[in-house]
Amino acid sequence: MTAEGQAPKFFGARVKRVEDPRLLIGKGTFVDDIERVDMLYASFVRSVEARAKINGIDITEAEKMPGVVRVFTGRDFSGKEVRCVSSYDGFQVSGYPALAETEARFNGEALAMVVANDPYLAEDAAEGVVVDYEPLTPVVNAEKALLEDSPLVHEGWHSNAFVERRYQSPGFGEAKEAAKHSVSGRFVMARHSGIPLETRAAIGDYDKGSQRLTLWTTTQIPYLIRTGLADAIGLPENRIRIISPDVGGGFGVKAQLYPEELACSLASIELGRPVKWVEDRREHFLASHHAREHVHEATVYFDDDGIVDALEAKIVVNMGPYSVFPWTATMDTGMAMGILPGPYKIKHYSVLGYPVATNKAPYGAYRGVSRPAACFTIERLMDQVARHRGLDPAEVRRRNYVTGDDYPYKSAGGLEYDSGSMVESQDLLLEKLDYRGLREWQESERANGRLIGIGFGAYTEQTAHATKEFVQRGVPIVFGYETSTLRLDPQGTLVINSSIHNHGQGLETTLGQMAADALGIDLADIRVEYGDTSQAAYGSGTFASRSAVMAGGAARRASEQLREQLANVAAHNLEAAPSDIEFESGRVFVAGSPDKGFDFAQLCRMVYHRPELVPEGQQPILEATVAYDAPPGTGTFTNATQIAVIEVDPGTGGIEILRYAIVEDCGPMINPMIVEGQIFGGIAQGIGSAIYEEFVYDEDGHLMTTTFMDYLLPGTTEVPSIEVFHLETPSPFTVGGIKGMGEGGAIAPGAVIAGAVEDALAPVGSVMVDTIPLTPQRVLGYLESARETAARQ
Amino acid sequence: MTEITLQVNGEEVTRSVTPRRLLVDFLRHDLGLTGTHIGCEHGVCGACTVLLDGETVRSCIMFAVQADGHRVETVESLSDDPGKLHPIQKAFWENHGLQCGFCTPGMLLATKELLGANPSPDESEIRTALAGNICRCTGYVHIVQSVKAAAESMAAEGGAR
Repeated sequence: MTAEGQAPKFFGARVKRVEDPRLLIGKGTFVDDIERVDMLYASFVRSVEARAKINGIDITEAEKMPGVVRVFTGRDFSGKEVRCVSSYDGFQVSGYPALAETEARFNGEALAMVVANDPYLAEDAAEGVVVDYEPLTPVVNAEKALLEDSPLVHEGWHSNAFVERRYQSPGFGEAKEAAKHSVSGRFVMARHSGIPLETRAAIGDYDKGSQRLTLWTTTQIPYLIRTGLADAIGLPENRIRIISPDVGGGFGVKAQLYPEELACSLASIELGRPVKWVEDRREHFLASHHAREHVHEATVYFDDDGIVDALEAKIVVNMGPYSVFPWTATMDTGMAMGILPGPYKIKHYSVLGYPVATNKAPYGAYRGVSRPAACFTIERLMDQVARHRGLDPAEVRRRNYVTGDDYPYKSAGGLEYDSGSMVESQDLLLEKLDYRGLREWQESERANGRLIGIGFGAYTEQTAHATKEFVQRGVPIVFGYETSTLRLDPQGTLVINSSIHNHGQGLETTLGQMAADALGIDLADIRVEYGDTSQAAYGSGTFASRSAVMAGGAARRASEQLREQLANVAAHNLEAAPSDIEFESGRVFVAGSPDKGFDFAQLCRMVYHRPELVPEGQQPILEATVAYDAPPGTGTFTNATQIAVIEVDPGTGGIEILRYAIVEDCGPMINPMIVEGQIFGGIAQGIGSAIYEEFVYDEDGHLMTTTFMDYLLPGTTEVPSIEVFHLETPSPFTVGGIKGMGEGGAIAPGAVIAGAVEDALAPVGSVMVDTIPLTPQRVLGYLESARETAARQ
Repeated sequence: MTEITLQVNGEEVTRSVTPRRLLVDFLRHDLGLTGTHIGCEHGVCGACTVLLDGETVRSCIMFAVQADGHRVETVESLSDDPGKLHPIQKAFWENHGLQCGFCTPGMLLATKELLGANPSPDESEIRTALAGNICRCTGYVHIVQSVKAAAESMAAEGGAR
């Protein structure tokens, strides 16, 4: 240590977010805030049928309406489509057209695009477009879609499964035979999605002079959009620039290439003017990608002590008609098949996975991808094992967890759990909640007739999975790495250009926190930039809880390279060894001689403006680019235990959450305040999954829930104050031992609330809660079943 | 087209608008006050909340012509200077009361209305007052803390005066 005083230590500090002031004063820049000279506005005509042959589209009236510049139909964009083909053998291919030309495959699919000089007039004219539909029998239910006699969504396919995936561990058959007990269930999670508060928006802006296309769009993955768009349009990629400015929430919904992005680009190329489209909320429900619709038939095999030895499952996911870019249609089944055994030391595993094409809306990512459904299934089964053996649900989990000595642990699902603290997390949570006291209180309240339940959800969450994992998943693009380019300027201020995107995660702050310490500079002297493909090298973007680990790891490594460059220059001019140069509080000096050195800014200026003072062989610039994939690329695992205490109202079927608590272990935290914000937000969305949110289709495939009055989001009075506690078990794999944690909160609430409802109804009668969301009707149904079970006994 | 005159963030504004122009589009696109956001266009999510004569309204289900002769305040009225934030904005910053920032303008104005009527609300009163504003990022825990902190700092400032 030196006499210069304590260096600011940003890693691990609860610093306020850098990005907040502009958002607080209403000066963020979202896509709809952007105006261009001569801009046109688009409105889409969308299919009212789930499945229909398009016999014709009459645009003659619409074209005559005021303000209309052009009406495009599928014929104008023929052959322009989004394709994403898995490398799995037997994968059946679908193209997702910019505008459907011959057949509409879901209610809400874009069929025509009206472009006018005013958004109100564009919407007026869209109503003047007349579509001649010939309705065909729609495929709505994924399990029925797999039956031999089902109609096919795509002509020429041999079944409605995009692909069929199987895995069976050696010895599974014997283990199943030998098992003393088993319990089974059919677990259903309804279709819902992330529903960011900002809808999607895009501005295609083709400049005929430079022959360059700029697309402003609400995306989490600008670089992948650039490549996908270039491939779909047939433009050279160096003539496309994607700008994704401030984005009002993503949650995975904005991590796909959408046909509207393609259509706005094509329309602008055709018309030579900027074309803007802002999705309305109804369109968002109809055509922004859905998620979560899983049905799992699963069985666990266990012994007298409740030790689970084997797991068998069939996973069916209702994917809608198209394989979406960049995920392919296999993302959900792949993830679910891998993670279904959860945090448990289950040795034997057999699983079948079916991503199924249907005539519902296309299906993409949503925070947690498959893990909420997988956690729901395995946690519900663990509760059944506990009931079967007369054990407490906490105890049965404890007996089955992968524990400290087991790490790194190769799971039955083929994943490598790098580290974790399942037992410790659960123990801490039980202690914090005084679990025994809570159970006693529950008993006494039951005596008063209250239906009080306690539910558990435990998980290990694969985060920042990269090269190795995605190679196994058979995706055409292996989402391996993220890049950060760090550039110091002559004033000694730092710009970090990263391939990730930031839309609430606080990365403008945390990437700076990762880079500041190595250079001994202040966060105020760092700017983090992202969301413009002209800035960083390349990368996949923000999803799968990867940005802090990969882009943060890259920023740390690059800051160390800059430190080395600066140390060399300082050493050269101070006649010292580079290893003796220290960086602290804006000073660069020889260890032990704080006066012998430079101000940080002075040294940076020296590099740029006094190249003769730079050692030979070193470049007179201060720049470093690092691509980092957290080797070995199998991911790092965050774990958590969540518990809720709830009360069921037997009159209304309503659920009140009395208490919600979590212990989360995501390794060392870059900024604990941001970590807690992510946890709270994830749990709130999970509560939506558990109780409120469901896209309801009728049997003909029409979406019935298209407003916030029939699709309910949890508000301030539905989400309780959440208690959060931390453990910090570092990853052996990553820079700083950090782990991803953006999705975790959302994974368990479905399991937690369902377990709590089942527990609450136990005094009435035995019932297995296997379907979410637990709307009042469903809760009343379970209550009725519980009464019937009791009456039969 | 109809001519309307209203006060927006303290300044008198006269413009010609079509009768069907939504107030939120008028604010965002005619006046360039893009701090007010559109989340649902059917009056549920609260992102478009502004104050009309001091009371919260949904600017996405109101026509601009209905604001003729009235006083409108948007998020830009609190403070548009990052160096001199309003105590409510400051409390949201210090307590991590925002993530993506899209619902934030509505949250801030709903908070302003609440604290005007009830300078020291308890948690339940805060949650009830903000029940018409959806946030999809924060889970509300830090928002509730932000409102409490804003109430405390405004009370302390008031006391000092």
